[in-house]
Amino acid sequence: MPTLRIALLTIRLVMRTKLALFFTFIFPLVFLFVYAVLIARGQPDVVAYMFGPVVTLNIMGSSFWGLGRQSVTQREQGSLRRYRLAPIGPGAMLLSNLLANYLLELPTVGLLLFAALVFFHMPMKIGWGTLLVLVTVGTFAFAGFGLTISSVANTMQEAQIYNNLVWFTLLFLSGVTFPLPMLPRWIQRLAMFFPSTYLVSAFQGVMAHADPLRDHAPEMLALVTSGVFGLLFAMKLFRWEKEERISTTAKLWSGVFVLPFLVMGLWMNTRVNPTAMWARSYNVIGQASAPSPSPEAGKANLIEDFDGVQASEELLSRWRVSTDSDVSGHSMAEISLLTPGAEGTRHAMRLQGHLTPGPKNAQGYVSARCEIRVPADSRGLRGFEFEVRGEPRVCQVGLQPPKAAASSIPAISFVPGETWQDVRLPIAWLANPAKNGLADGPWVLEISVTGPPGQFALDLDEIRFY
Amino acid sequence: MASLAANSVLVSVQNLHKHYGDVAALRGISFDILQGEVFGLLGPNGAGKTTTIEIIEGLRQPDSGSVRVCGLDPAQQSMALKERIGAQLQSTVLPDKMRVDEALHLFASFYKHSASVHLLLQQFGLADKRHTFFENLSGGQKQRLALALALVNDPELVLLDEPTVGLDPQLRREIYSLIEHFRGERRTVLLTTHYIEEAERLCDRVAIMDRGQLVALGTPRELIARSSHGTRLEVHLAKPVGLDRLKRVEGVIDCQETDGAYSLHAQPPAATMAALIRFLQSDDNALLDLHIAQPSLEDVFVEMTGRRMEH
Repeated sequence: MPTLRIALLTIRLVMRTKLALFFTFIFPLVFLFVYAVLIARGQPDVVAYMFGPVVTLNIMGSSFWGLGRQSVTQREQGSLRRYRLAPIGPGAMLLSNLLANYLLELPTVGLLLFAALVFFHMPMKIGWGTLLVLVTVGTFAFAGFGLTISSVANTMQEAQIYNNLVWFTLLFLSGVTFPLPMLPRWIQRLAMFFPSTYLVSAFQGVMAHADPLRDHAPEMLALVTSGVFGLLFAMKLFRWEKEERISTTAKLWSGVFVLPFLVMGLWMNTRVNPTAMWARSYNVIGQASAPSPSPEAGKANLIEDFDGVQASEELLSRWRVSTDSDVSGHSMAEISLLTPGAEGTRHAMRLQGHLTPGPKNAQGYVSARCEIRVPADSRGLRGFEFEVRGEPRVCQVGLQPPKAAASSIPAISFVPGETWQDVRLPIAWLANPAKNGLADGPWVLEISVTGPPGQFALDLDEIRFY
Repeated sequence: MASLAANSVLVSVQNLHKHYGDVAALRGISFDILQGEVFGLLGPNGAGKTTTIEIIEGLRQPDSGSVRVCGLDPAQQSMALKERIGAQLQSTVLPDKMRVDEALHLFASFYKHSASVHLLLQQFGLADKRHTFFENLSGGQKQRLALALALVNDPELVLLDEPTVGLDPQLRREIYSLIEHFRGERRTVLLTTHYIEEAERLCDRVAIMDRGQLVALGTPRELIARSSHGTRLEVHLAKPVGLDRLKRVEGVIDCQETDGAYSLHAQPPAATMAALIRFLQSDDNALLDLHIAQPSLEDVFVEMTGRRMEH
């Protein structure tokens, strides 16, 4: 089988080149140590969070600077001409490069994993199969990028320009180097169009929270689709000779390669909004670096854990439900007591019902709100958090300050999953509410559910300041 | 090697045209290559030799005309054809860290039928270099490896594009021996070259090309015999003499003077030599040196194109 033979020989050639060996196996380890020591400070949970960006960085590097360059170099040096005389086609050449790239990626990730487990005691919350699927899908998707660039670039210089352009964009704007929750909102929105964002967030969700892979199925699908597009483009535009130039029209056609990410980005921006999921993963850093609170402190910061509530009716004394009836909607909602609560607590609260938007609206709306007070001493507090689970609909949580004149705190959106998740809302003013005149009056905590017509259910528990 | 009937046509090229933009690379060339012969395409750089061989290999498409190779259409049946031909490029480049035997084993694995790599290493004098990286091979060794790669599928037809270009005379002679070995095996060979000596020595038949056209076709002996230049006498004289006077000597068809030496095209040579000596005696001159040279393919080329072949 020519594809396998060429791939195996390519791997052998890499093994004989010291520079290639360094960049294939040693350089990724350097990155892991930099991330784990300087950013994660050796904390196992944070190392698990950082493992995804390190692997993504490595997959991107091998695709852009290994696979992408290799095809152009072979063409420029003229070594493809010799293959052209043999009874093999472009498909065998491309697949062999792709296969060699993948087979080199696996031991590299194995080395990274070994180092993370042994030196940093990274918790391994997922099975090997899940990790293999993530690495396979990621490598395939970015191979599509590398192959597309090598197909449209007429010269090595041109390939360098394209590679740099895409490489640095993805490197800094998709969570590979800076966690997305650290970046401004507009960058987060932009990041939803980048494939590396999905690989990083899938890795982080899986590695840090043991998410099942099906929770990240749309992202995986977008990655696989772009890999297929890239391979098809590369086969269509494959050139054996450096004298063969690609037309501008063909270059423009290759833009279709980004279609899956355009669709994915639009869908994520308008329908899903994964920022809460990113924030949830990012919380690992805060939780790991913050000192463990004492039980008393934990109690003092507690807003509501529903454990003292005896019956559903008692909830109505504190919580108010509102719907979209003021805009002709017919959505309905009720709150009830749920047993057991999150993480072994006695109770939680369930908000459930049916969204029925009015004739002029595409989406229905319901919300539950309650008044809360800031602890007497709120120094050191950074926001509030709660445990949530439910059907995958877009939800929002916000906190209205007591003074109407005061700037409102931006609400955050999230999509609950089947299992309990922690959602955090950072509040900068909380560190010093008295200074802002916000300590006295009650604040209003509001959680809302929006979406197209249909049933919904949302469970809440352990609402507390952190 | 699959066998065809002796003298059957293995390659048929008819009225081939090819343009690169405004440049006409081929302008209606036609020829046949017979089973078992070494056929040469001779011409200066830019004559269209490489374009022709690449169309035969199926690497390029002609604008018009037809080509059949081993009974196949190279444009439509490229994969089937590649199984039956072996080709050597003007310059073969392989990855630096690829070993000689790895290259042969790899390329042999692409074919349904392949030759013994061990025998190829022996035949091409590469047995002791089998584990050497491509980057560490000399120019001659690289060229021998390229030739060995052309034979990994034991092909019916071997296509060699300028196999000795850039090699020193010693290495060139090594390659000549290998091509003569092909001839000994009755293997059909198409060879392009711009070396007259190579074409005369190696080829059973030669097609002379110039500016995309075939200007002459035949065995080297036939082509030379067809030449009107006749035998060349190169003489050094004791005293200079005018070219117009020399041209009047009986049997001299044409003459040129270069650095004091005179080159006379003579027909018939013996009578011309006698007439020349009589002329020099009557002119109180003397013959210092005399060389007799038969006409060459170069002369044929000059006659056909009106200019010398640029090497």
